[in-house]
Amino acid sequence: MFKLATKAIEIADKHGADFGDIRVVEDRGQYLAVKNGETAGLTDETTLGYGVRVLYKGAWGFASGSEMTGRAVAATALKAIAIAKASRLLMRGRVRLAPEPAYQDFWQTPFLKDPFAVPVQAKLDLMFRLDAVLRRDRRIRVSAVSLRFNREHQWHLTTEGSRIEQVLLSSGAGMTATAVQDGESQLRSYPCSHGGQMHGGGWEVVEAMDLPAHADRVRDEAVALLKAPRCPSGVKDLIISGNQLALQIHESVGHASELDRVLGYEESYAGSSFATTEKLGKFRYGSPIVNLVADATLPGGLATAGYDDDAVKAQRWHIVKDGVLAGYMTNREFCGRIGRDRSWGSCRADGYANIPITRICNLSLMPGSSSTEELVSGIKDGVLMENNVSWSIDQKRLNFQFGCEAGWEIKNGRKGRLLKNPTYQGITPEFWGSCDAIAGPQEWRPWGVANCGKGQPGQVAMMTHGSSPARFRKVRIGVHG
Amino acid sequence: MRKIEHICERILGLAGGVPCEVTAEEREAALTRFADNVISQNVASSSLNVSVRLLDAGRSAKVNLNQADDATLKAALASAREILKRQKKDPHQPALPGPRRLPPAAGLYDADTAGLTPAFRAAKAAELARACRRTGQTAYGTVDNGWSRVTIANSRGVFAQHRESFVTHSVTVRDRDGFGWAEQPARAVGEIDFAGLNERARAKAAAGRAPREVKPGRYTVVLEPAAAAGLVSYLGVYGFGGQLYNEGRSFASGALGKRVLSPLLTIEDNALDGPSAGMPFDFEGQPRSRVTLVENGVLKAVVHDRKTAKKAGAASTGHALPQPNYMGPIPLNLAVKPGQGTLEDLIKGTERGLLVTQFHYTNLLRPLTVEMTGMTRNGTFMIEDGRIAYPVKNLRFTQSMVEAFAGLEAVAAEKALVMEWGALSCPAVRLAGLNFSSSTKF
Repeated sequence: MFKLATKAIEIADKHGADFGDIRVVEDRGQYLAVKNGETAGLTDETTLGYGVRVLYKGAWGFASGSEMTGRAVAATALKAIAIAKASRLLMRGRVRLAPEPAYQDFWQTPFLKDPFAVPVQAKLDLMFRLDAVLRRDRRIRVSAVSLRFNREHQWHLTTEGSRIEQVLLSSGAGMTATAVQDGESQLRSYPCSHGGQMHGGGWEVVEAMDLPAHADRVRDEAVALLKAPRCPSGVKDLIISGNQLALQIHESVGHASELDRVLGYEESYAGSSFATTEKLGKFRYGSPIVNLVADATLPGGLATAGYDDDAVKAQRWHIVKDGVLAGYMTNREFCGRIGRDRSWGSCRADGYANIPITRICNLSLMPGSSSTEELVSGIKDGVLMENNVSWSIDQKRLNFQFGCEAGWEIKNGRKGRLLKNPTYQGITPEFWGSCDAIAGPQEWRPWGVANCGKGQPGQVAMMTHGSSPARFRKVRIGVHG
Repeated sequence: MRKIEHICERILGLAGGVPCEVTAEEREAALTRFADNVISQNVASSSLNVSVRLLDAGRSAKVNLNQADDATLKAALASAREILKRQKKDPHQPALPGPRRLPPAAGLYDADTAGLTPAFRAAKAAELARACRRTGQTAYGTVDNGWSRVTIANSRGVFAQHRESFVTHSVTVRDRDGFGWAEQPARAVGEIDFAGLNERARAKAAAGRAPREVKPGRYTVVLEPAAAAGLVSYLGVYGFGGQLYNEGRSFASGALGKRVLSPLLTIEDNALDGPSAGMPFDFEGQPRSRVTLVENGVLKAVVHDRKTAKKAGAASTGHALPQPNYMGPIPLNLAVKPGQGTLEDLIKGTERGLLVTQFHYTNLLRPLTVEMTGMTRNGTFMIEDGRIAYPVKNLRFTQSMVEAFAGLEAVAAEKALVMEWGALSCPAVRLAGLNFSSSTKF
C-alpha cells in the first residue's frame, strides 16, 4: 500500500505543496443483530480507499478516491491541489502546521481473540439465547441484541517523511428490552444504551461483559418501569452512573473543548463553545475534585492509537485540572492559536473518504475516593439515574438536558423505589461546579461512544469516556413536557 | 471503473443460483466550507458502495464492499455463502420480490449542478464573506454539490435505477451577539437564490443583536419552515413507520381514522412528484406509493415495506429501507399541505409569542407521544401585537409533538424544502403553545 500511496506524495512534492499526506484505509466491519427472535442484521463490510490532503501556498485541498491504481491516486492528488488553489480565493493568512517529528512505525490495538475468526453461528447462538430470555414476558414487545466489530487498517504517508501503519480493532455488544402496555413504553439495556458497549480489543471484550448474567434483570426492570412512578420534578441531589455520566462528559466537556469549534470553525453546523481561549488556565469549569483527562494511550479506548491522523504521536493531557480549564482537543493547524508549538494530537478522520478534523480524544473523569453507597448515604432527597436515553445541548455547550433509562429515588440516605422517565437539566459550569463526590477507582469503568457525529460532510468517530458514579448537588430534575 | 450494470450482472452470476440482491450507490460530492470569513475546508469525494444480500430459505447474509474487481467480488460472495450455510432458518424472512412496474422518476438530475467546480463554490463563499467584512459581520457556512445514483437489481429480475443531483447553500452570519441563518437545498443550482439567502441571514443577524432574556414557559410560536420541519420530521418518523406501528410504539397505533392532530394539518409522503420528490422506488426495488398520512388532522395511514405490511395485514406502500433494517419503513418524502398567507401574516396574527428561525440538537424523550426537547438557534424573536418586538436569548423546549400539533393554529402558503431524514416540504406554521422548559445564556 505504501508503494501506491507514494504517488500522492510525489505529486504534492512536484507541485511544491507546503504539506501533503495520504491515508490509505481498509475498513473491515461486521454487524449482527437479532430482534424479536429474528435475524435483524448480518452484515460484513470491507472498504478500501484513500484520502489525499494538500496544503498548497497556505490553503487546504482534500480529495478522496477508491480506485486502487497509481493513475487514480495521482489524479486524486491533482484534484486536491486544484481544490487548494480554489481555497486561496478566500483566505486571510497562510495555514501553518505545528511541527512534529517524522515517524516510521507500526502500531496495533492489543487483542486476545480475533472477533472475525469467531464463527458467525456461535455469535448468532449467543444472541438468540439472550433474545429468548429477554422475551420471557409478554409485555416485552421489542427485544434486541447486537454485536459489532471493526478493524481499520491505515497506511499514512506524509511529505515530512512519516510512514505510519496502524491496525485499530474494536468490539462491542449490547441488549435492550422494550416493554409496552397501556400507552406506556419503557426500555432497559445492558451494558448500556445506543447499541451497547464497545472497547478497543477482540472477542474477549464481549466475553467480559457476561451478557447472559444480566438478561433476566434487563427484562424485569423494563417491565417494572411500566408501573413505576414518574420521576418527580424539582431541584434535588443527583447521582449519575452508567453510560449517562460518559455522555455528560462527552457533550459538556468533550465537544466544548474541541479547539476548532472554540475558534468558530464549526459554527455553521454543530456550533461553537463557551470555553473560549482567554479562559484557558483560569476558568472554573467544575469543583476542585473534577479532573478530566484526555488520553490517546488509554488501554481499550476507542480513540487509542499510536498516532492521530495528523501523524502526531499519542499523548495524555488534562482538559480540566482541579476544576480549572487546562487544555483543548487540538490539531496541528489550530494549536498555535493557544500558544502551543505542538498539537496534543486529537485530529482524526472517518474512514478514507473524509478530511481529518479535530476530534474528542478518550476523555475521562478521574475517580475520587468515595463509593456509590457513600454517595447515596449523603443524600436526603435525590435521585440516582443510569444509562442515557436522550441528549440535547445548546450550540455553545451550556444548556443541556438528558433523559435516562431508569431512576431510583433516594430518601434519607437510602436508595428506594424505581422511577420512570428520569430527566435532568443544567448549565455546564454550574453543573460540574456542583459535583461534590466521585466514587473511587474500584467503580471506574470505561464507556465507549461509537456514534459521535461532527463536521460537514458528516463524519462519525469513536472515543471512550471513563468514569465512576458521581454526585451533583441541587440539580433540576424531572423536566417533562 | 466498470459500468454498474456489468457489476450487478457479474455479482448475480457469481451468486451461483442463490437468491441475490445488489444495491449500488455511486456518489460524487464536493463541499466548500467557510468560517470566520475564510474558506476553512474544501473537499471532494468519489465513491462506489455495493451491497450484496443473499437470501436463501430463511437464511440471509449481506456483504458491503467498494471494490468491484473480480477477485474482490468472488471473495465477497464466497464469504456471504459461508455465512449463509452456517445459519439457522428464520421463518419470518420474506423472499426476494419480483419486478414490478415502476413509476417514472421526477427528473431530479441536472448536469450543470453535478459538475459545479471548486472555483464556483469558492466564489459564492467569497460573495458572502466580502459583504460581511464590509459590515463587521462574520460568515460561516457551506456550498456543496454533487450527484448520486442508486441501482437495485436482484436475481428475480428487479432492475431499478435512479440518479439525482444536489446543491445546497447554507449561511450562518454572526453580528456581534446576533446570529442569523438561511439555507436552501435544491436539485438544480438555478433554483438557489444565493443573494437572497445571504441577505436574509445578514439581516436576521443584525436584528438579533443584544438579545433579551425571557422567562421559560408556554408561548404561542411562529415557526419558520426549517423550524417547523424539524418537528414535523419527528412526527413522520416516529408516528408513521410500519414497524413502530406494529409494535404499539407509535401514536398512530390503534388510532388510524381518529382525529388526533389539528384539522389544519395534512401531511403526505410523496416521492413521485411535487416538492419533496425523490427516488420513485424503495430499497427492494418496489414502487413507492403516494400515501396520505394525515388528512385534516385525522390519522389516515402509515407506510409499510413487505415485511411490516404482512404483519399488519396491509399492503406494502413501497417504503423499504436497505434490508434488514432496525427502524423498519419510514416516510422519507414528506410534504405538509400549505395553507394561506405568508410568514408575515402569521406574525401579524400573533398577539404575544415567539418567532423561531431554527431548532438545534432536537432529540426524542418518549416515542409514544413524540415528546421532544431541543434548543432555538440563529434568530429567536419576541412577537408583540403582531410585530417583531425584540430578539431574545435562546430557549429549550420540552413537549409532546402530538400535543403541540393538535394545537396548530395556522399554516402559511409559502413552503420551503428542508433536508431532514429525507426531503421535507414544509410551510411556516403557528402553534398555540410550545412549552419552553429552560433558557440559556446567549
